[in-house]
Amino acid sequence: MKTGKQRTLYVLKNLLLLIYAVFALFPLIWMILISFKSDTEVFTTTFLFHPTLANYREVLIRSDYGRYIRDSVVVSGGAVLVSIIVGVPAAYALARYNFPRKEDLAFQILSYKFAPEILVVLPLFMIYQKIGLYDSYLGLIWVYQLISLPLLIWVVRGYFEDISVEIEYAAQVDGYSWYQIFFKMLVPLIKPGLVSSALLAFIFAWNSFTFPLILSSNKVYPVTVAIMKYLGTDSAHYGQLAVASTVSALPAMIFALCIQKHLVRGLSFGAVKG
Amino acid sequence: MAEIKLEHVKKAFGKVQALSDITLDVKDKEFFVLFGPAGAGKTTILNTIAGITMPDEGTVKFDGKVMNLIDPAHRNVAMVFENYALYPQMTVYDNMASALRSKLYKTSEEEIKERIAWAAKVMKMENLLERLPSQLSNGQKQRVAMGRALVRTPNVFLMDEPLAHLDAKLRNSMRTELKEMQANLGSTCIYVTHDFMEAMALGDRIAIINEGNIVQIGTGDEIYYMPCNEFTASLMGDPQINIFKARIIEEAGGYSILFAVGEDAVNLPLPKDAGIYKAIKENGLEYVDLGIRPQNVKYAFEPTEGYFKASVYSYESIGNKSVIVAECGDYQLRMIAPNGLNVAIDSDVYIRFELDRSILFDENTKKYIVRYDEENFKALANNSEGK
Amino acid sequence: MAGLTLNHLYKRYDNSGKKKKTKNDFAVKDLNLVCEQGEFVALLGPSGCGKTTTLRMIAGLEEITDGEIYIGERLVNKLHPKDRNIGLAFEDYAMYPPLNVYENVAFNLRAKGVDKNEIDKKVREIAPLMQINDILDKMPVKLSGGQKQRVNIARAIIREPELLLMDEPLSHLDGKARQAMRTEIKRLINKIKCTTVYVTHDQLEAMSLADKIAIINFGVLQQFGTPTEVYDDPANEFVASFIGEPPMNILETTIISKEGTFFFTFENSNLQIAVPKRYYSVVSDGFKCKMGVRPMDVLIGGPDSKGTPEEIATFENLGDERRIGIHVGDVLMMLITEDEKRYKRGDIIKLEVREEKTHLFDIETGDRIREKTE
Repeated sequence: MKTGKQRTLYVLKNLLLLIYAVFALFPLIWMILISFKSDTEVFTTTFLFHPTLANYREVLIRSDYGRYIRDSVVVSGGAVLVSIIVGVPAAYALARYNFPRKEDLAFQILSYKFAPEILVVLPLFMIYQKIGLYDSYLGLIWVYQLISLPLLIWVVRGYFEDISVEIEYAAQVDGYSWYQIFFKMLVPLIKPGLVSSALLAFIFAWNSFTFPLILSSNKVYPVTVAIMKYLGTDSAHYGQLAVASTVSALPAMIFALCIQKHLVRGLSFGAVKG
Repeated sequence: MAEIKLEHVKKAFGKVQALSDITLDVKDKEFFVLFGPAGAGKTTILNTIAGITMPDEGTVKFDGKVMNLIDPAHRNVAMVFENYALYPQMTVYDNMASALRSKLYKTSEEEIKERIAWAAKVMKMENLLERLPSQLSNGQKQRVAMGRALVRTPNVFLMDEPLAHLDAKLRNSMRTELKEMQANLGSTCIYVTHDFMEAMALGDRIAIINEGNIVQIGTGDEIYYMPCNEFTASLMGDPQINIFKARIIEEAGGYSILFAVGEDAVNLPLPKDAGIYKAIKENGLEYVDLGIRPQNVKYAFEPTEGYFKASVYSYESIGNKSVIVAECGDYQLRMIAPNGLNVAIDSDVYIRFELDRSILFDENTKKYIVRYDEENFKALANNSEGK
Repeated sequence: MAGLTLNHLYKRYDNSGKKKKTKNDFAVKDLNLVCEQGEFVALLGPSGCGKTTTLRMIAGLEEITDGEIYIGERLVNKLHPKDRNIGLAFEDYAMYPPLNVYENVAFNLRAKGVDKNEIDKKVREIAPLMQINDILDKMPVKLSGGQKQRVNIARAIIREPELLLMDEPLSHLDGKARQAMRTEIKRLINKIKCTTVYVTHDQLEAMSLADKIAIINFGVLQQFGTPTEVYDDPANEFVASFIGEPPMNILETTIISKEGTFFFTFENSNLQIAVPKRYYSVVSDGFKCKMGVRPMDVLIGGPDSKGTPEEIATFENLGDERRIGIHVGDVLMMLITEDEKRYKRGDIIKLEVREEKTHLFDIETGDRIREKTE
């Protein structure tokens, strides 16, 4: 039973939240609106206009947009895949074994995320040119490891550490080989952490701009860089720009919405002991 | 079922020498207990037998066959871990079935079902089969861990403190149940514990382990009545045995002991016993450590002939009886008393030792020399081996 | 003057959903208790029975739904914990990490603004009592479990409270450390003679330390008596089986009459035990009840004993004593003896019980059936 005072407080709270939500989401909403407007209407109208699909037709069908999406998928997906294949065993090693300077190594891997991309991208440009990795899928997948690998290792290591080592002994005594133990017993237990950190890594890789901008040009063209193409030399086709941006943001948004429940749980569960 | 032999096994972890020189011989179908304080190396021994840990030196043999290089999966052992190690993502049924479903021990689903039904009945957990480990209490998890071992037909059962995390009541009742099961199973079993009651109740033979060394191996009675040194004597028995310094004096017709109570010395005659007198004479014993169990210390609250004075330090119940701890010079002496007595702390109490039940230890090496009535206890120990 | 009085104390669960529901929705129901000045009272019961809730109400950390709490002569229902003049030594040590032991113990005296010299005098008085003299300058993180507990208690008693409250202070300690601390607490309480209420689920602890034990189950007081009383004269089946290790054998039995003598008989068993004469006035042929007898009061009969021969199911030699288990129907009845004789599974022995130590309980309510005294 809410008193009058509690009711006004309730309304006030939600009003403030609504205002903030509008403020935060407005650029996104504006962008979606623009994608339906013709070039002439972009500056002159706000909410009332004649919606048109011309921009969509131009971008999705007439231009090379499909190719840009494909490149993003290959590079981001490939990066996450490599991170999983390398990172999960690495996380296991860090969790289970003791070797000299183990924590130094773990910290070093984490430190890859400390430096902003722009800091490292110029030296990398020169190196890539020399070893011929410039403008290649392999080159981008490799450099994306700086983004996806630390995240994956950090989260999955926590999950491994939470599994008591006696479970592995029990499985050995039960007659299972190392591979069977790893895939049948351990992987199901780290799945939440693995899935959520992999998806998050994918989102980060997808959104990466600096690396593809500098380290590739025509052959490999992820969508983040491709959007710049719609800027045009003389004028900006805002409508088309908006379409390119909106569509490129879609995968990240969809993934995040799908796993939002698991995101927090998956990322924090393994990290905290006890 | 198999005979398990460890020969001169050594194992170090980094700088720590976990096992110094372990030689054990577990007979087929024997219930063998590894007993000792925490950190003694008992779990390491178990892991070495299971194949989880490889010894630095020495051999592990099953029925005479050297197993050092054989991995755990191929040794056919069943193990119950101290914190159960149940697979969290599987139901109780699947946990128990896991070994039988592995490639090595492949069994048909019908046989798996039969065996699990039998084990569940023995462990009284038929209603738990569909639950997940996270839905079980400690006592229930312990039963599942044991059930998982029971469904197999291994060379040996290895159990690592399976009752450690249960509360006292449950521990006692599970111990009694285990005892009953053990008789029915007829399998070789190596059981680790730091609880002497479990060791005595369950073991056909007990190995006392301390700091990576075997201190003594024998039946419960052997170790209880003829402990090889003071350390072992203190481990067995609750409350702990009383050990104090005494000086043997020759007197007309026999011996007596003198021991210090603060400033004074109390003189108590040593009852006649052929074995004791012989040992004293042959070894020229003068200063010894005398061990006497709390049950053999008598007390009175009034000054009595043959009793010497001490002061009550505490009076506490330990279940079905109580312990009076009396301060006597530099020593604290423990004795058994019934529950419900009116005992005032710091009051006077008068004590007498039943010296005809005592044990003599060497003052310097702390080793066992002789005890009263040794012949009879040796016979008792040998008889009880046939149980 | 009573040290602590509880009158018709009730505590209803607040539906914040944190506790799982038990039988009723009262955490504490109609609790009446009087502790004499200087008495050591244990609140004993299984987890979730309401003992900690009661303690917290006495401390002022929980609101009382109904009833009154008197510390000494004062009604303290509405008083803030700091005004109740109590000392708290709770399960989680909660020592202030940045302060050393001396500072921790002196803390609330400083907070009260007591003079510095006075504080020093008091701390140095308490330190030898709690044997913390040599750790006064150490930091909490370097202390062992036992040491932390002693500092905890020192902190509680330095204010010379009227009432000392302890909530399972020894639960974090293991075996030997726990026993040693128990002895120390007992000696300490004996010295300072402060009314103490001590919560525990370990009946051994309660039996060792307390002058009186209040046994609580599902928020209801089962019995309030000295350790001897609750051990020898339990009020109901719950108390009888809770106190004592190993627990009392409690078996459902039907009484039959044979040639003028009453016997206890048991389902699925041939065992017959003679009913003690003092119960003749309350039993009859065909009367169903529960019989309780402690393992140490079950005796092995001699060769000319009239007891029924029974087969031994388990024999445990524990060095100091021997424990024998015998199947009576589905129940395993335990007996403890200091006899030196070694038995084996399958051996036959005759059973007798110590008449004056056998109890009867109502088969429905579990209440004790006492003999009629004229």
